Amino acid sequence: MSLFKARDWWSTTVGEEEEFDLGCLCVANIDNATDELDKIIIGSYHGILRIFNPKPTKTDDGWSGYKPEDVLLEASLPEPILQLEAGKFVSGTENLHLAVLHPRKIAVYKVGVTSGAVEHGRHFQLNMSFEHNLKRTAFNFCFGPFGGVKGRDFLCVQSMDGTVSIFEQESFSFCRFLPGALLPGPIRYMPKLDSFVTVSSTWQLECYKYQVLAVATDAKTKEESQNIKSGKRVTWDWCYNLGEQALDLVVVNYENCPPSILVLGERNIFCLTEIGKLRWMKKLEYEPSCFLPYCSVVENTINCLIGTHTTNSLMVYQDITLKWAAKLDFTPVQVKLATFQDLKGVIVTLSDKGRLECSYLGTDPALFIPPVPESRELNYADMDREMAQLQKRIKQSSHKAVLMPNLKKQEDDLQLLATVNTNFDDVSMATEVEFEDPDPVPSITVRVQVKARLTIEHINMHVHACWPLKSNVSSFEISSVDPSNPSEQFVSFFIVGKAMPADMTVSVSANYMSASGAPRVATARVKLPVKLVIKPVAPVKNAEFKLTLDSNKPPANLNELFPDLLGENAGGQGAALGFQYYGNGPIVTVLASKTSQRYRLQCDRFEAMWLMVKELSGRLNSHFNRGKNDSFALYFAGQLPLQEYFDLIDAHFEHRLNADRCKEMLNQRASQFRAIQRRLLTRFKDKTPSPLANLDTLLEGTYRQILHLADTIEENNQSQEVAALSLSSATSLFNYLIKLWTNMSEEEYKVLQQCVSPVVSSSTEQGWQESVDAAVTHLLRTTLAKSSKDQTLNPQPLHIPEDTTKVKKHLALMCDKLGKGARLVEGLPTNSMVNMNPTPRKEKKAKISATSKTVMENGHIDNSDDTETLIGSQFGQHKSKRNKEQDYGSDINGLSDLSMLGLPAENVDDGMTEKRKKKHIEAMVPDLDDMDDEPVALES
Amino acid sequence: MDPLFLAYSYYRRKKYEQCTEICTQLLEKNPYDQASWTLKTRALTGQVYVDEVDVDEEGIAEMVMDDNTIAQVSRPGTSLKQPGTGRGAPSQGVRPMSQSGRPLSGFVRPSTQGGRPGTMEKAIMTPRTAHTARPVTSASGRYVRLGTASMLSTPDGPFINLARLNFTKYAARPNLAKALFEYIFHHENDVRNALELAALATEACQFKDWWWKVQLAKCYYRLGMYRDAEKQLKSSLKQQDHVDTYLYLCKVYCRLDQPLTAIEVFKQGLEKFQGETTLMTGIARIYEGMNDMDNAVKFYKDVLYYDSMYVEAIACIATNHFYTDQPEVALKFYRRLLQMGVYNAELFNNLGLCCFYAQQYDMTLTCFERALSLAEEVTLSEVWYNIGHVALGIGDMTLAYQAFRLTLANNNDHAEAYNNLGVLELRKGHVEMARAFFQAALGLAPHMYEPHYNWAALADQLGDLQSSYNAAKRAVDAFPNHVDSKELLKQLKHHFSLL
Repeated sequence: MSLFKARDWWSTTVGEEEEFDLGCLCVANIDNATDELDKIIIGSYHGILRIFNPKPTKTDDGWSGYKPEDVLLEASLPEPILQLEAGKFVSGTENLHLAVLHPRKIAVYKVGVTSGAVEHGRHFQLNMSFEHNLKRTAFNFCFGPFGGVKGRDFLCVQSMDGTVSIFEQESFSFCRFLPGALLPGPIRYMPKLDSFVTVSSTWQLECYKYQVLAVATDAKTKEESQNIKSGKRVTWDWCYNLGEQALDLVVVNYENCPPSILVLGERNIFCLTEIGKLRWMKKLEYEPSCFLPYCSVVENTINCLIGTHTTNSLMVYQDITLKWAAKLDFTPVQVKLATFQDLKGVIVTLSDKGRLECSYLGTDPALFIPPVPESRELNYADMDREMAQLQKRIKQSSHKAVLMPNLKKQEDDLQLLATVNTNFDDVSMATEVEFEDPDPVPSITVRVQVKARLTIEHINMHVHACWPLKSNVSSFEISSVDPSNPSEQFVSFFIVGKAMPADMTVSVSANYMSASGAPRVATARVKLPVKLVIKPVAPVKNAEFKLTLDSNKPPANLNELFPDLLGENAGGQGAALGFQYYGNGPIVTVLASKTSQRYRLQCDRFEAMWLMVKELSGRLNSHFNRGKNDSFALYFAGQLPLQEYFDLIDAHFEHRLNADRCKEMLNQRASQFRAIQRRLLTRFKDKTPSPLANLDTLLEGTYRQILHLADTIEENNQSQEVAALSLSSATSLFNYLIKLWTNMSEEEYKVLQQCVSPVVSSSTEQGWQESVDAAVTHLLRTTLAKSSKDQTLNPQPLHIPEDTTKVKKHLALMCDKLGKGARLVEGLPTNSMVNMNPTPRKEKKAKISATSKTVMENGHIDNSDDTETLIGSQFGQHKSKRNKEQDYGSDINGLSDLSMLGLPAENVDDGMTEKRKKKHIEAMVPDLDDMDDEPVALES
Repeated sequence: MDPLFLAYSYYRRKKYEQCTEICTQLLEKNPYDQASWTLKTRALTGQVYVDEVDVDEEGIAEMVMDDNTIAQVSRPGTSLKQPGTGRGAPSQGVRPMSQSGRPLSGFVRPSTQGGRPGTMEKAIMTPRTAHTARPVTSASGRYVRLGTASMLSTPDGPFINLARLNFTKYAARPNLAKALFEYIFHHENDVRNALELAALATEACQFKDWWWKVQLAKCYYRLGMYRDAEKQLKSSLKQQDHVDTYLYLCKVYCRLDQPLTAIEVFKQGLEKFQGETTLMTGIARIYEGMNDMDNAVKFYKDVLYYDSMYVEAIACIATNHFYTDQPEVALKFYRRLLQMGVYNAELFNNLGLCCFYAQQYDMTLTCFERALSLAEEVTLSEVWYNIGHVALGIGDMTLAYQAFRLTLANNNDHAEAYNNLGVLELRKGHVEMARAFFQAALGLAPHMYEPHYNWAALADQLGDLQSSYNAAKRAVDAFPNHVDSKELLKQLKHHFSLL
């Protein structure tokens, strides 16, 4: 982040694949020229030493830049160059010499000039003055007038293991261990205190007096050598705990400010006095790479250049105030200031790849030029036209409620065909069946064919079968299909759950990428035969629920209708057949009247009849309409079984309420659990232990309760699913009966199906009761409304209702209105078909709503209210059989409120087996002539 | 060349991979090489290092299990939970609130997005607060925690098996222990073991090293033991002043919900370290969180005096200027950010808005065009939303409608867009649609007062007085000073009392 960039004065790139790091750049008047101009000396890890003397000249278009004659010297040394410094290293002269640190050697060179006849005839040489071989791998070195000598610089080399070796110019002086060294840090000599400062591995700044190091010799060995293995422990003069590793360290001594030590840490920059007191520090919000303090013009301040990683900036600080930020083109590893011809204070930066730049600060904006967004030639006429076109399209599509891409025209690349085998599998594939049945549970195979127009790869196939149905595979992948050989797969379906499916349709879908790269789904639905879930048994004479269907044709022989489901009834007269759901489910008996044109279905459970009603009507239709004269029709002339239907609504609703109660309880327990946890936490945290006061027992108990509640919820969910299936079946049946009853057209039937939806979802947010209520209310207020006065719409938000009275009332009202001939689709004439038997029905209908009203008020049927109950339903004596007693057995923790959570147990097989025993096929030969009398008889 | 020297050089140049590689080779040769072992821990730490001061993610458990709360109902202006009434701050009607009831900041940081939900349920239900906080300026990458390396899988197991480490042995060696601690804390993210090591180490150096105390405090903070952290930090400050220590201490006080104490500590720190920008930013952030914009801006300006490149300060001042009706000034600040090299969709979006309100219409569309070309999925919806606003401003209802629809196409949780679409539908006379949009908006963002009020006004017109009353009450809850809502509520109360 910087406004400006550093202005390039002179730059060059040296070497190929050479590496540079801190220490590889040195700026000094190394050839001791009289004009005292600085030269740049760089040495790489590959051992190449270069000396530059930048002399750019100003031209019209900026500075002339790098010229080959700017290179004064290039020499290849045999070993990597770790550090370069210029100082008065050679005895007897005060000229600057170059000290070069190699891993195992330190050498001092003299840079000599041989002047030629002309300017460019001058050439430079590197002459070695002396060198010291090192016994340890060197890390870095520092120099200075150790011991306070005048006009001479001594060398102090720090090795990788933290040993310092002092060389007094040409001679080796001594070697010492620094205490606690692990990885060496930067080291500098501080002339004023005659001490060394370094940052050790303990992340503190340590100051060692030269004197202390010099005298800390082992008494035994007088001889100083580099081969020391042990030594006296030296102690520091002072130390300052930085708390971080240092990147670099500089000792400054300027005229206008007190002498200071500047330390560049990894995250902060510190300025300390020479006795280790902090003067200031600054937290850096970026990663610094190198720094260089220099003299400031303001009294008592130090200026500092800091190079950064990642943002590649050069920050200029005056103490802690940011004065300038300039952008560089690379991350500098070292920065120096130099005085050159024509220009003082040039910033010299070096990157680790060998980019050497001399630059100065300027107000050239570091503007990142953003790419110009794609612009077109402005043609207003075209634009207007395109705009109008687009607006039109938007308008068109916004008319549709849902924005959907138009996919009609496209032909699918993939075709999915599913066909059901006519027979069961020889060996049943049914596994993981959740119930027990004396007969083996059959399975049926569906052949799924995948045909493609083009070659399509990676087709993901998914098989959807709603519980209680299941397939042996749920998904598989077809690696590739091409037009010549379609793929074929076999999937077996069977029943696993102890419930009655509401729908025998299963679907298979294929996800694939079309040739154009768009994801596509192809789906095939297939209806499984009903024999998959029911088996033939002996018919049952009596049952609680009976449905009578009229037809306009003489009754068919049931044996002909159900050739595949005869079982042991095969020898019968074909007037009565019994079917039982797998898993000891209810038995549905189908009877055909011998004399009248009627069929009866009876069963102990209302919802169980749906599949058979559907199956029967379907089979009858195909039986009679075989000869193309589709005059066959079914009618329903009885009472609508409202009460039975309402019982199922209540049952399902009970489960929903239970789920809510359980959730609330779980919530309460969970917060109690957290409260106990919190209390325990405070107690454990306390320094002085206090008794737990049985909180742990309480925690354990609450934990058990939570687990228990979770189990309860799980159970409830399962039974809710069963109840939802029942409700779904019953809704379908109810709708179908209404259809037969009022002789609805398909269109109306569709509306009815959508309003009183047989889809019962188990979502917690929105339940069946309120959504059906909303839909029916809508119907009552719109199409079924008598006058426009009723047509006010003020829908309520969809919340779980307190009870089911409202939905029941509205359903009854809807039936009432439909019975009176109202139509669900506007524009049709009043329905007269219902009024086949006008007077009594009208009367009855009027009372239906009244009945249901009492039902709502009492919650369940009041038996004493004889007339109304009877009118409301011909099976009025059937009472709600929900067993509301809780058998929760032993409550583990003895907490009484839990027992409330017991689920209403269902009495499913209420005396079923007993009844079965009594019966026999022969006894079942029905006498159905009193079929139509029955309701009347009950009524009287 | 000595491999260890080269590794050290790579470490200095932040080439951590190469450094780790060399160290691994060295350790294969000599598993007891402490120097390369230390260097490797440091290189691994450096790869994932994020300044702990900036890491401020309050987990749900910490919020709910917080037993340090001093007062449940605190006096206004003394708590971050209930920001003050806003001295010098524009009202909520002008400057939108984030979900936690604080004004939107000009700079997205981890702590500006999290609220302090009252209950566990609320905390779980409102996870996507980031969507409701509009990205007003550049979010810088350093505030986004990338997850620690402990989640990454290493092929040959972890470098250091913490379970088998003898902490007592390492704690006694200060030159190894510090790097090891940072490795455990930052790389392994194993706070408990880090705490154990720090506790042993501080004992080993006779409680004389301030650094270990700060590290102990860091561990305590992570473990939610704020009082212990406070104790350690105070003790550390007695030994040696350090900027980080002050920052950590204030972070502890903020978590303890004592913003005034935090400001006090920051000011003490500023006495010691005059002109330290991080401390001043800390004060400004707290004032901003307490809705005290005057002071916040004052400190942000102080920051700029010492560091004129401080992006956060520039962005926050710009935001404040924008919301206090000085778009021209805000434009200057945003332009400076652009010049400094911030180049993202958020900035261009803000520039576009400033240009629009400063009546520099020629630049507005260009800025938005750039913003759209730069935006990513999340910000794209916000850019479209603002374009919709501009369209509303110039009266182009069709464009506004389409822009809001595009907002929803990119982010279907955008409550503000739902609300505005509802208003547009209402203008067209589509009452049902409007109602649906308002209900969607108030379901998504119950902290916004606009959909509540709009719904109340609509219900009032339709004659559904009960809903209107409820909605108006919710609107007043969300924005106590909203005149129209209060007026409506008064009217309804009057009406009800007549009945």
